Amino acid sequence: MKTSKLLLIFGILFVVGLAIYFPGRKIARKHVNTKTAVEDHPLLCISCHLYTSKNPLVSKLINADYYSPFNMAVSKNGDRLYVVAQEANTLMVVDPESHKVLNKIKVGEYPHSVVIDDRGEKAYVSNQWSDNVSVIDLAKSKVVDTLLTGNGPAGLSLSADDKLLYIVNSFSSDVTVIDLNTGEERKRFTAGNNPTGTQLSPDGKTLYVTSRRALLAPYGDTLKSELTVIDESRQRVTERKTIESAYIMENIAFTPGGDLAIITLIRPKNLVPSIQVEQGWMMTYGIGIVEQKENGRVIQLLLDEPNAYYCDPFDIVISPDGKKAFISNSGVNCISVVDIDSVRSLIAEATPEVVKTYSNNLGISSRYVIKRIKTGADPKGLVLSPDGKRLYVAEQLEDRIGVINTETLEKINSIDLGGPRRITVARQGRRLFNNSGHTFQNQFDCYTCHPDMHEDGLVYNMASKDMGRNLTNTQSLRDIGDTPPFKWNGKNQTVYKQDGMRFSTVLTRTEQFSYNNLDAITAYIITGIHYPPNLQYNPEGKLTESQLRGKDLFERSKDNTGKIIPENNRCITCHPPPYFTNLKLASVGTLAISDDSIQFDTPHLNNIFASPPYLHDGRAATLEEIWTKYGKEDKHGLANDMTKNQLNDLVDYLKSLRAPAYEHKSSKLYHASF
Amino acid sequence: MKKRDKRNWFKFAMLPVAISGLLSTGFIIVENQPGYRNDITADKPVTDGNLKGLTETGSKTSDSKADSKPVPVYGNWKNFTTKDGLPSDKAYCVRIDGDRVLVGTHDGLAVYEKGKWRTYTSKDGLPHNGVVSIDVSEITGDVWIGTLGGLSCWSGGKFENFTQFNSGMPNDLVYCVICDGKDVWVATGGGAGQYDTYTKKWEIFTEKNAPMHEPWTYGISAGDGKIFIAAWGGGVIEYTTKTKQFRDYTDPDGEMEIDLLPDDGPVHDITTGTTYANGMLWVSTYFGLSSYDGSHWKGFFDHDSGLASNFINFVRAEGPWVFICSDKGLSTTDGKNWVTYKKNENNSNGMAIIINGTQKKELPLSPSISHNFIIGVDADADVLWVATSKGVSRGELMK
Repeated sequence: MKTSKLLLIFGILFVVGLAIYFPGRKIARKHVNTKTAVEDHPLLCISCHLYTSKNPLVSKLINADYYSPFNMAVSKNGDRLYVVAQEANTLMVVDPESHKVLNKIKVGEYPHSVVIDDRGEKAYVSNQWSDNVSVIDLAKSKVVDTLLTGNGPAGLSLSADDKLLYIVNSFSSDVTVIDLNTGEERKRFTAGNNPTGTQLSPDGKTLYVTSRRALLAPYGDTLKSELTVIDESRQRVTERKTIESAYIMENIAFTPGGDLAIITLIRPKNLVPSIQVEQGWMMTYGIGIVEQKENGRVIQLLLDEPNAYYCDPFDIVISPDGKKAFISNSGVNCISVVDIDSVRSLIAEATPEVVKTYSNNLGISSRYVIKRIKTGADPKGLVLSPDGKRLYVAEQLEDRIGVINTETLEKINSIDLGGPRRITVARQGRRLFNNSGHTFQNQFDCYTCHPDMHEDGLVYNMASKDMGRNLTNTQSLRDIGDTPPFKWNGKNQTVYKQDGMRFSTVLTRTEQFSYNNLDAITAYIITGIHYPPNLQYNPEGKLTESQLRGKDLFERSKDNTGKIIPENNRCITCHPPPYFTNLKLASVGTLAISDDSIQFDTPHLNNIFASPPYLHDGRAATLEEIWTKYGKEDKHGLANDMTKNQLNDLVDYLKSLRAPAYEHKSSKLYHASF
Repeated sequence: MKKRDKRNWFKFAMLPVAISGLLSTGFIIVENQPGYRNDITADKPVTDGNLKGLTETGSKTSDSKADSKPVPVYGNWKNFTTKDGLPSDKAYCVRIDGDRVLVGTHDGLAVYEKGKWRTYTSKDGLPHNGVVSIDVSEITGDVWIGTLGGLSCWSGGKFENFTQFNSGMPNDLVYCVICDGKDVWVATGGGAGQYDTYTKKWEIFTEKNAPMHEPWTYGISAGDGKIFIAAWGGGVIEYTTKTKQFRDYTDPDGEMEIDLLPDDGPVHDITTGTTYANGMLWVSTYFGLSSYDGSHWKGFFDHDSGLASNFINFVRAEGPWVFICSDKGLSTTDGKNWVTYKKNENNSNGMAIIINGTQKKELPLSPSISHNFIIGVDADADVLWVATSKGVSRGELMK
């Protein structure tokens, strides 16, 4: 071909290219601007069309299978670490000396905790998404039995004689007691709301169970959470301690002498407008000191400092000499070390009036926090070597176990569990989600109000142009990618918009995420947050008779008298499957005086049983109350013609709703709207 | 036919008047003093699971040969009223819980422990001050409390409340509550309800899905894998928990005040309570008492037995003995032998009328029970607690 011809072809291509490029870029710019609500997000197609893809093949290529160590136990002689690898559904047996992973034992779905019996023969692993406990013969490194539990087994504790296993059911909010001789459930105690942590007192007489969500109460009431006390010998709940103004009490530990129990906790300021963030006073983090004597006090002390917050305290262990407490602050990647004798003297010398001030005193931590030890991303479970010289830290988003010298209080090395080396975009997003580094003074991270990527059950007074208006019930983030718009007022059409500039302006009060980070956190939120199975109300996908009747009511077009129900007043109209939302705004007669005159985004309903309170401002404590107390005008679906039996059937059906992924397990293709 | 004596023929002639009168009395009392209904746990073990101590010999009487055993008689009565610390003299129910005694009153829950009374009201978290029924879960030790404004679980010192608005519970008028394993059953003004404490799910039984005459239910008891519901106008509804099947027992005479044919079913369709123990179902009505051994019904009336009155508010069986709370005193029977406690009208003394086979004797009591209008009762190894409309009474087994 002659050169002139080649030049001509290239020239034509160039002209065509230019003709496509400029308008194409303009269209792309407009598209990206719409999705991100900013005008300078890079025109990077992969931001949305690759990182947030739910196509299984694409997902496989761009993501990785991490272990995500969560909780741990150590053998009596300290030669083995047992690590719960939450995302690998595995218990890993690790040699802490050689740093080698010796065994990987498959357990159930989404394991939570592990305990080892006194003889070191058996390990018990709670499988939070399987509703069971795997019993592992440690000599054989094999699961030898599976014990059925309540819904969402989490924390575990063995009785002093190893005959009973106490299992904290985090979803059904109770404690299963299993007789290990028979493997049968002996009884079930009601616990606080969303309990997780448990610990037996050193004398073996008292079992404590912490809870994460506060007890349901009207907005404006003082927040109260329950610490459940079980008398081990009598097998009775003897006390339900009220912990005021605190929640997310993840874990508890006793001093070896048994004079104190210490719980981790968060003190949210949800009753005041979130403008408090820039005042440095939105969420505070601390510990609860539970005196173990008659009429013992519960004293709350903060781990924070003025202008620096130590977000998301998760686990706590106490050294064998009872001198130091180690607390993992998951949101700031560090371990806070507390001098317990200083705490003892502080609370001993204080008058009751002074003690009351401690829970809000940001400056007092300098009197007992003696060190902050940096860790890898998202430190969760802690365990001490039997001699107390080593502290092992489950660095969940590093796939490593950090090792800390408890004498020098320095991190000395890490045990690599062998997870993928590369950090995917979604993994980076998860790290951001769990880290408060992007909030003013590290006050909170996404996880704080969305524990387990769900919601914290609180109603917040979000700052807006009119202070004190528009109360907001925190919404779950599970599987929300396909349910835009977001926020109760539906103002954010995309997750990009939700977590971009406005997010930093309204909530984090600091610089917004970089676009790379925004891509990452969006990728994680859209692709990485999944519903647990609905094992309590719909384990197999087969509805009960009551649920089937409720489904008929949900989908009905005629009332009990045979009269046609207007289409816009039928449940199914606004709440169609698979997410049970039509993605539109609606008015359901719940607008309060304190609300702007708006309609509300129709919420998705899968696993709705796990999201009390209900309605945009959380006024309904239960699903029933949506209609018995707040549906008198039949604006939230026609319901007043129903009998009590029918309402029960309807509620029963609503509780059965579960994620589409469980309805279509065989389906390989997911449709993302992004 | 014993019952069809002259008096009954007279009653038959007066039937329309009597029925309307008694029914209206019943309704009025029910509306004004809803605590007439009480809790029943037929299979609650009483010291080693039987009535040890309820006989003079102290021997166990869990077998069915109780007719050879002496009748348990209680004396040394001690009465408690507001003067002693009760929040109200109107006591609706009583339940012995280990070392303490729980009393439901018009003005709250009263707990007697270590010689002192302590009261809990709606200020402490109760859904309503009218406490009409109490049962204790054998499994967890939690106390379940039926009130006129909802159900409450009292555990670890805190009240968790269930109402018809915040839960699937049928109705806030909880006349009776019992614990049956992990299930809690209630008899309410809107049907019977079953609450599974494991799944947290309510199931409601009314005339829509059970062989009831109407949703109003007053009493409920459990035993041998069955639930026995006292349904207003519907006799007894038996529910087999394993098969989830119902069957009903009604009076072939319907709501006639007299039994035209004796021992053909419950003595009346308007039932006020059921209780089950030792394979025997006992059913109370405002028109007499019935027993059912699985094959045969038998009726008991004030004119042909030791029963204090046909107007029975509540029954509770412990082993072979059933305690019958009526408007004219408390009766105890095993079906053959009887003891009835009555208070004198003009003073605090009274008597125990003992019928042992064909022998009858009256045993003076000083003091006696505090009032003849009995609404609730509970028995332990050697004590009997009685809820009356003038406080509660505690009697000791006489040796």
